[in-house]
Amino acid sequence: MSQDSQLTARPPVARVSASSLFELIGSMRFAISLLVIICVASVIGTIIPQNRPENTYIDQFGPFWFEVLGKFSVWSIYNSIWFLVIMAFLVVSTSICLTRNTPKMIREMRTFREHVRGSSLRAFPHKVEFTTERDLVDSDVAIKAWLKQQGYAFKVRQEENGEMIAAKRGGANRFGYIAAHASIVMICIGGLLDSELPVRSQVWLLGKTPILDNMLIADVPASGRLAMDNPSFRANLFVPEGGTRDNAVVTVGEGALVQPLPFELKLNKFIVDYYSTGMPSRFASEVTVRDPETGETFDRTIEVNTPLRYKGVTVYQSSFDDGGSNIEMFAYPLSGSQPGPFEFSKRVGEEMRLPVGNTGREVRLEITGLRPINVEDLSDGVPESVSVIEHVAAVTGSAASKRDKNLQNLGPSVEYRVIDDSGQAQRFHNYMIPTLLDGDRVILAGVAMDNTDNYRYLRIPADESSSAMEFMNVRAALADPQTRKLAAKRFAENNVPAGMDGAALEISAQRALDTYAEGGLEGLSNFLETSVPPQELERAADVIVRLLGSSMTELREIARERSGMEPIDPALPQNVRWVQLAVAALSDLNFYPAPILFSMKSFDLVQASVFQVSRTPGMLTVYLGCLLLTLGVFAMFYVRDRRIWVWLKREPGQDRTQVLAAMTSQKRTLDFNREFERFEQAMSRLDMRKE
Amino acid sequence: MAETITADRAAWQDLTESGDARQLRGKPDWTDLLFFVLLSVGAAYALVTYSESMDIYEKWILVGTIPSVVWLGWLWRPLRTMLVLSGLTALFAIWLYSGNLGNADQNFFLKYLLSSQSSILWMCMLFVLATVCYWIGFVSNTAAWLGTALSWGAVYAGTVGLLVRWREGHLMGPDLGHIPVSNLYEVFVLFAIITALFYLYYERRYDTRALGGFAMLVVTSVVVFLLWYSLTRDAYEIQPLVPALKSWWMKLHVPANFIGYGTFSLAAMVGFAYLVKENGETKSYKKLAPLFILGVLLAAEPMVFRSEGLSATWMLYFGIGAVLVGTILAFRSPIARKLPKLEVLDDIMYRAIAIGFAFFTVATILGALWAADAWGAYWQWDPKETWALIVWLNYAAWLHLRLMKGLRGTLAAYWALVGLLITGFAFLGVNMFLSGLHSYGAL
Repeated sequence: MSQDSQLTARPPVARVSASSLFELIGSMRFAISLLVIICVASVIGTIIPQNRPENTYIDQFGPFWFEVLGKFSVWSIYNSIWFLVIMAFLVVSTSICLTRNTPKMIREMRTFREHVRGSSLRAFPHKVEFTTERDLVDSDVAIKAWLKQQGYAFKVRQEENGEMIAAKRGGANRFGYIAAHASIVMICIGGLLDSELPVRSQVWLLGKTPILDNMLIADVPASGRLAMDNPSFRANLFVPEGGTRDNAVVTVGEGALVQPLPFELKLNKFIVDYYSTGMPSRFASEVTVRDPETGETFDRTIEVNTPLRYKGVTVYQSSFDDGGSNIEMFAYPLSGSQPGPFEFSKRVGEEMRLPVGNTGREVRLEITGLRPINVEDLSDGVPESVSVIEHVAAVTGSAASKRDKNLQNLGPSVEYRVIDDSGQAQRFHNYMIPTLLDGDRVILAGVAMDNTDNYRYLRIPADESSSAMEFMNVRAALADPQTRKLAAKRFAENNVPAGMDGAALEISAQRALDTYAEGGLEGLSNFLETSVPPQELERAADVIVRLLGSSMTELREIARERSGMEPIDPALPQNVRWVQLAVAALSDLNFYPAPILFSMKSFDLVQASVFQVSRTPGMLTVYLGCLLLTLGVFAMFYVRDRRIWVWLKREPGQDRTQVLAAMTSQKRTLDFNREFERFEQAMSRLDMRKE
Repeated sequence: MAETITADRAAWQDLTESGDARQLRGKPDWTDLLFFVLLSVGAAYALVTYSESMDIYEKWILVGTIPSVVWLGWLWRPLRTMLVLSGLTALFAIWLYSGNLGNADQNFFLKYLLSSQSSILWMCMLFVLATVCYWIGFVSNTAAWLGTALSWGAVYAGTVGLLVRWREGHLMGPDLGHIPVSNLYEVFVLFAIITALFYLYYERRYDTRALGGFAMLVVTSVVVFLLWYSLTRDAYEIQPLVPALKSWWMKLHVPANFIGYGTFSLAAMVGFAYLVKENGETKSYKKLAPLFILGVLLAAEPMVFRSEGLSATWMLYFGIGAVLVGTILAFRSPIARKLPKLEVLDDIMYRAIAIGFAFFTVATILGALWAADAWGAYWQWDPKETWALIVWLNYAAWLHLRLMKGLRGTLAAYWALVGLLITGFAFLGVNMFLSGLHSYGAL
């Protein structure tokens, strides 16, 4: 049946000729094979992360497979030549199919097929045949009335002794096919216009050369610049607060091209709003746009989900960054008897070299980030084991969180990298103000573990001015043998029982301090294990910890005197605690992977917005295609096409009329059977006697 | 003349056009008008009271929802009844809250019945019970009837749960609330409701309860996943929206998508039933083996996605899945006798996939429109987008072959089952394995 074979091809002829090739490309088999290839390629593209730096792939697959897979552009499948060629074939194939079938379908949609031979209706599976008492005119009127009421359009062919009524309904079903297939072509073409293809073809055909090195935009030669009226591009635009930009950057492979914009964009302010949970709730950029041709300016807020559309270019909020905030830094040396700090100021993203004490060595400091707000969950979320019933009870009720979260804003922090002479880089993350942890005010200094984003934090006890200064003074004092000696002496004086010689006590204290200064708590414990019999170890450890604590308290007091700070009462619990924390932190410093610790004194936040700017000439086509696709799909599934033929024949010499009627549809679902049944009933209800 | 379905009267005589007591839908009556007025009053109240919290698009969506819901209520009366009941119940729960979230632990009704989490737990329990009843229904009509009743109960409880959850979000904080379709937990509930509703529609329309056991298997496995997810990961907690999700597009994109997922799963289970029916009298293990393997694979799919090894829970789940599929196949003969005719199963499968495909098309397009606003490109081959395309192409091919080449029967049924594997991966696997822009659906 012809109506069942729409949009499909006749079997390809073996003879290879232009027309059979045409036939093949237009066939559904060909189209489906293409679709399968596209599916497989897409799956590969989702499994292998796309468009990463080459090194990532070399690490993952090894140099050999990198080379082999690279031949097939596996790293950017969706922009590879072969993928685009397949897409192009798909477009061609669908177009051929459309051009071949659309005229047929439109004809089919319009024709009533009233020229069907009456007797051929008997071959239909859904047919009724009977003779009615009505005469021809009467039957004709009744049937037409019913058809009209059911929404059928019809055409009548008069015959010698009767007539053929050909009726149809739901022609839009065929429109659905046409629309759905045309939409695929539209979407593919529109998508191609908005892909990387236009920019790439400028590289191939117009000799544009992507810039591979860092370069000021002003220095980029004409070959590295795209035209202002470039019809299709997708570029990134970085604007710091207060800055004005009119050039965006298009990345092409490993390089970049400059895309001049038809307007200037000035970022007045970048805003991040937060929920009470500390999650960001809104990213927005307040910008001023200036048209250089007319000099006109206007203000606008660009947000995620509300882009700016101007002069055919769309500006989206894509991300944010630091725009070169200025940070006043403290540098505390972690060795030698100079407590520091040394002050300097740097912008985020800048580098500097710093000498390490007087060792002649240098380290490179690179400030990588400034975070003005850090909201963290400080509760240790270790779930306790509970019974199933409690489990169920725990999830009933409202959907609000049942766990006690301890969300705190830990204040600003700085992220930096320290690179030593051998090129080893280590990342750090230090907070600016003290955090209250387990009741102690400590300054957190984070070290990235194995260069992942997991940080371990050194807890530095804060002083009265909320800084690490006092701790660092104590550190410097501990590093100085003379000061250690003085502290041991004072300890002996203050603690010697009446009438006894303090010399032995002083020697013990000094040995404890020296060992501790040398190797931290671990050094002390090693010392104990080698010099004390195992059975006395516990008691000796207890003694030495107290000895160390008291000596360190003396050391702290000396350090305070020297830096002109108020004397303190060492017996107060908070001071005892401070020393405990300091002892732990100083010991941990032995494992600190950098010779200098940096902390923020103050900062001047300058944020930057990262926008995506694009000109997408194919978008309208794609959207129209989408609309057509939706209409087409719904028309295809939900417009039922039906055809009815009623052949009326006057019985020779009588008033009776012979009726032969058939009904058909493209999709004979169960619904059709029902509808046919209703048709049958209607025919019999028309006051016609059924035979 | 192409071959048609064998014209067996019984196959369509039981059909009611409307899927409810009406033989034909006819013109909307006064109850539709009343429903319309009721909804309009509610919407008008919302528009006046919460005017500042909605942007113009959200207002239009609200206005547009009313005729759509009235239309749905006209299409299928039981849905309307369920919506009215769950709406009133949700209003009662909101009244009980009276602006204080703490009431969830004080008030008896809230604590045990109506707070969102309690409702959703009830939904889970009722769905599991319904599944059991449907299976017992193969030997007892009462049990099958109970299955229907329990499924309706579950759908009701789930709808109440989602509606109340919506309100709870706003009670947690003025800026926290949002429509509950924003993360994996919420869409799982939505998925269970939609799948069950479509099943219930076909159940009534084709007058058969024998498919209930099959359809509800998918819903039950979703429920198991949901429970595991909320018990071990605290997934039920309402989280504020990330900025990219704060858009009115979400209200359209997500539900449309889940109509697609729901009907595709339903089609797959009907396909499974089709194959069971077809092999009802088969003695050959060769013919049953692929069906068994496919069934077990489907049951195992969520487990395969576990990234951190195989926990005992998941092994147990896998075992139960294998036993269930095995049992169904072992009892294939009595089950096959109860199942409706092959043409009916085939018809349901086609209808479900057609609806699903239409809505999945719309959902993907809406997603593209949204992406254009939020990410700056309507299509950028993000893994979720790509997999949506693969799912779409898969069902497009299915429909093509059916409409153009008259694909029916066994192959179509197997294909629908494999389709669920693909859909399942697009829905869950992408979130678990592949990173991308849709990461808020992550596990």
